[in-house]
Amino acid sequence: MTMRKERITSLLAALDRNRIYVLLALVFAIMPLAAHGFGTVNNLTTVLKSSCLNATVAIGFTLVLICGELDLTIGATLTLGAMLTIGLQPHLGRPGSFLVAVAAGALVGLCNGLIVTKARVNSFIATLGSMTILQGIIYIYSHGASVSVTGPADFRLADFLEKPFVPLLTPRVLITVALVAFAQGFLTWTRTGRNFFLVGGNRETAWFSGVNPARYVVGAFVVSGASAAVGGALFGLSMCSATSNLGAGCLMDVIAATIVGGTAMTGGKGSVLRSALAVLTFTAMFNGFNGMGFPSELKILIAGLVLALVVIHEAAAARRHERARGRRPMLMEELRRKAPLQKKESRT
Amino acid sequence: MPERTGYSARSLSGLFHRAGIFGAVALILAIGALVSPKFLTAGNLLNTVDSVMLLGIVAVGVAFVTYSGHYADLSVPTIMAFSGVMAVEMLRFGFVPALLAGLATGLGIGLINALMVGRLRVNPIIWTLAMSYLTMGVMRWLWSNQQIYPDVKGGDTGAGRLFTELYRHEVFGRITLPMVVLALFVVTGHYVLTRTAFGQQLKLVGSNPSMAAMTGVRMPRTVGLAFVLSALAASAGGILITSLSKVGAYYNGEGYDFDAVTAVVLGGVTLTGGRGSMLGVLGGVLMLGLMSNILTLLGVDTFAQRIVKGAVFLAVVSVSSLLARRMGRDDA
Amino acid sequence: MKRQIRNAVVLLAAGAVLAGVTGCGKQQPAAAGVGRADAAANLAESLKVDLSELKSQDGQPLLLALETKTPPPRPEDPDTLPETDPGHWYDMEYAGWNTAKENIPSSPKDGAIGKRVIAIINGDHPYLTAYSAGMKKVAEAYRMKLRILSPNWKVDVQNQMLDEAVNEKPDLIILIALDAKVAILQVRKVNQAGIPIILSNMHPDHEAMRYAICWTGPDDWGQFRMLAKVWADTLNRTGGVAYVRHAPGGSPFFARTFGPISELTAYAPEIQTLDMQAPGFEAAKTQQVVSDWIMRFGDKLVGICAADDSAQAIGIVEACKKAGRSDIVVVAAGNSKVGMDAVKAGEIHAITYQSAEADGAVALKAGADWFNGLTVEPVRYLPKHVITRDDVEKFLPPQW
Repeated sequence: MTMRKERITSLLAALDRNRIYVLLALVFAIMPLAAHGFGTVNNLTTVLKSSCLNATVAIGFTLVLICGELDLTIGATLTLGAMLTIGLQPHLGRPGSFLVAVAAGALVGLCNGLIVTKARVNSFIATLGSMTILQGIIYIYSHGASVSVTGPADFRLADFLEKPFVPLLTPRVLITVALVAFAQGFLTWTRTGRNFFLVGGNRETAWFSGVNPARYVVGAFVVSGASAAVGGALFGLSMCSATSNLGAGCLMDVIAATIVGGTAMTGGKGSVLRSALAVLTFTAMFNGFNGMGFPSELKILIAGLVLALVVIHEAAAARRHERARGRRPMLMEELRRKAPLQKKESRT
Repeated sequence: MPERTGYSARSLSGLFHRAGIFGAVALILAIGALVSPKFLTAGNLLNTVDSVMLLGIVAVGVAFVTYSGHYADLSVPTIMAFSGVMAVEMLRFGFVPALLAGLATGLGIGLINALMVGRLRVNPIIWTLAMSYLTMGVMRWLWSNQQIYPDVKGGDTGAGRLFTELYRHEVFGRITLPMVVLALFVVTGHYVLTRTAFGQQLKLVGSNPSMAAMTGVRMPRTVGLAFVLSALAASAGGILITSLSKVGAYYNGEGYDFDAVTAVVLGGVTLTGGRGSMLGVLGGVLMLGLMSNILTLLGVDTFAQRIVKGAVFLAVVSVSSLLARRMGRDDA
Repeated sequence: MKRQIRNAVVLLAAGAVLAGVTGCGKQQPAAAGVGRADAAANLAESLKVDLSELKSQDGQPLLLALETKTPPPRPEDPDTLPETDPGHWYDMEYAGWNTAKENIPSSPKDGAIGKRVIAIINGDHPYLTAYSAGMKKVAEAYRMKLRILSPNWKVDVQNQMLDEAVNEKPDLIILIALDAKVAILQVRKVNQAGIPIILSNMHPDHEAMRYAICWTGPDDWGQFRMLAKVWADTLNRTGGVAYVRHAPGGSPFFARTFGPISELTAYAPEIQTLDMQAPGFEAAKTQQVVSDWIMRFGDKLVGICAADDSAQAIGIVEACKKAGRSDIVVVAAGNSKVGMDAVKAGEIHAITYQSAEADGAVALKAGADWFNGLTVEPVRYLPKHVITRDDVEKFLPPQW
């Protein structure tokens, strides 16, 4: 009896831990049936292409979240990355402007990290302030307009980035996949990577173990800024242009995807791979909805519903865990089965 | 060895810390007076209050949530819009029923938030974000993505006219109704925070939740009430902003969530909770308004204003945090 | 970790296989190869469709008589001209007029009945709800299968929708670009897939017009030049004025501010631009900006031009009332219900007429004309009109 209950519970727990894979499979199973034309190679390529931007940004955001902090500047940083890549191109050439854009993103991250660690300001507040400043800078740099490059070489680059060279894969998708794989490998297989989890899970223990939390937090913010800038830069290159409203909805989408992907807001737990897959799931889901002709309000409603269900579920699981903590069901079961304690011969 | 009080040892920083946001407000007023002779006139100052009174009303509610250590209530903008639209829709039943309907809508959403964050202890940022999506989706679906008008809905009953008059009604000279509502909210909020049991419990919940639970504070009820108050304040703000814009629309109230948190934190309520006062929130709101006022008087571009506001915000928060640490009041 | 990777790969592979299997079955059959006899019949019926009876919600005819104009010759180097000179804005204002077209598909000339059209607008707003309604009326008349998608103001989502639309291979795509420059590659992508595309409402960059059949929409620059003249006349062509701008990123951000400024340089040189700000579409923020202007400029400020007659206009009117400056002449871009009410009450002096339903209808009508093999000019403007207190009644009930 217990063994079966145990197996069911452990199966459910495994499903829950891997829920993003379950969701992904669900979406890819249902959508081809519900949405016309979803399963075609062209459409799947579109889904992959459209996930690139948010997936790249989610890399850094997940890292910051794992450290137990929050980075609200990702939308503005990605816009900055795109703007600088395109805007500086006439002056610095393509590689130069790309490098400057990424460096700018890293710089933003560095400032955020320093404010959070040195001035000990809460990351929500600090990045709220930086976000406002960044938005102002972006608008002033672009004079409220957008920037573009229209040389034939630029079109060639954009075409190169966006045309699939094998079915389903375009160079930009490949770059994104490589970045996600690299980040996930770094987090799971290197010691420095694993230390991020320590810093997020229990900062004091990290300190005692010889890990300097401040350095890791700053590092996480730098990576977050850089990854957002890279995502934005790639997007800008693929569109040969950048507009000041590029990062408008990005923050909320990435937060939603990261949470659904299993990263905890409290820190110490998370996975870049899952966040990226969550981005893919959401993109595929909305792609299917477009195919089914859903109106905007229904899409918003479903996004809210998914997020709400995930977060309620997580809270319920946490409550259950809390209640069960400290109990030892195996021992209780054993004691219940054994005969009551016999009066032993007392040796006095 | 004389005891280090922290105040006498570093009197200037201590003074500044105690004056808090009102010191900053006084500084801004001084700067403004230097910038333009017309700055310290009643007309100009009332204009400033005009521009931030709705934000102030909403910020009073959000302050309760932040005070309890739950960061922010991101569902505020959609609660504002929904209450406004519902109020306009119900104008055909009369002016007072419409107001009640609007407030009831806010109350309803607040109760859902309270249940989820208070009892189930769902993460507040994510939950209120999800709630804002749900509310927005429902609102746009119910009214088919269109906006509705008070005079059309109110018909011949004159309720529509009363509704649009709500924002503009002059209670005493240049003092309009929203200003009175703001003053009322701030005073009541301050009283609730400092003189009621709920306020003390909220302070404990904000500064040390586990201790609060252990000393018998009813967490679900206390935290829940904070969210309900936030929703009610957002509701009132939403009805007023709808009255101002003369349309009930789903886009009213956009941006108020982050702006309110900015004002609240500027005013001294730290994000970790348990610190700050309602008067500080009023100060934060006023400071934002005064900064905009001075910058526009100086002819600074709207976008450059953002940079200045962001920089000032970060500076104030960093300095205040550093000062707190220096005086031994350590918390993030 | 290894197990997780394995699980992930297995699930993804399974999903892809499943998708492929079901996807193959659902391949869209090639657009019905219409026989030549059918095409001719379709064309004949299509040409007979009469849209003159259609009306928009405000009682005006849906398909208003379009205006045309001859653009002036392009100045040598517009960027070197000052911002107050109309020539500086030539490329923005006359985008599409003199652009060489590239790779435009030729009309199949088989009528517009039953064609599949995908329209991608820029976001959700009551104006665009009316826009969609107008477009649907035309679609009904021609029995077209119309699908309207909205990316809710996000550029990357609009790109995704365009990719999806290209995959579906409709007979026509209509696009309201979110940004003038981003539109270049968006339109080029559709063009390279061989699908005809018509741009609507927002002026794209002139480079984008290379790849599109045409652009239809309100003549933003033109109507604001017209409005500026009416405004200047009321001000006796002298005094200081200020501008409340549209949101950055779109064409109205420039058209509704620098249109009047550059027009008045020649028409009323004694009018001085005091300031311009972009407070967004919030009444409270606009009110604050205007109150500060009144405080700063005092009696020098005699006129305000706004890019929006709804929230922005309310803020302006409130500020003027509170400061006792109801003498300030306010003009704005219309025409929402709030704006028209204000014109009726005398709070706003004049607004421009922009029929949202006609905006949508005209875009699809241009597509229908193209299907019918008729000539489609590169730019089609909606008619301009300045609404004042005398004729505001004609435009009620409002479209939005």
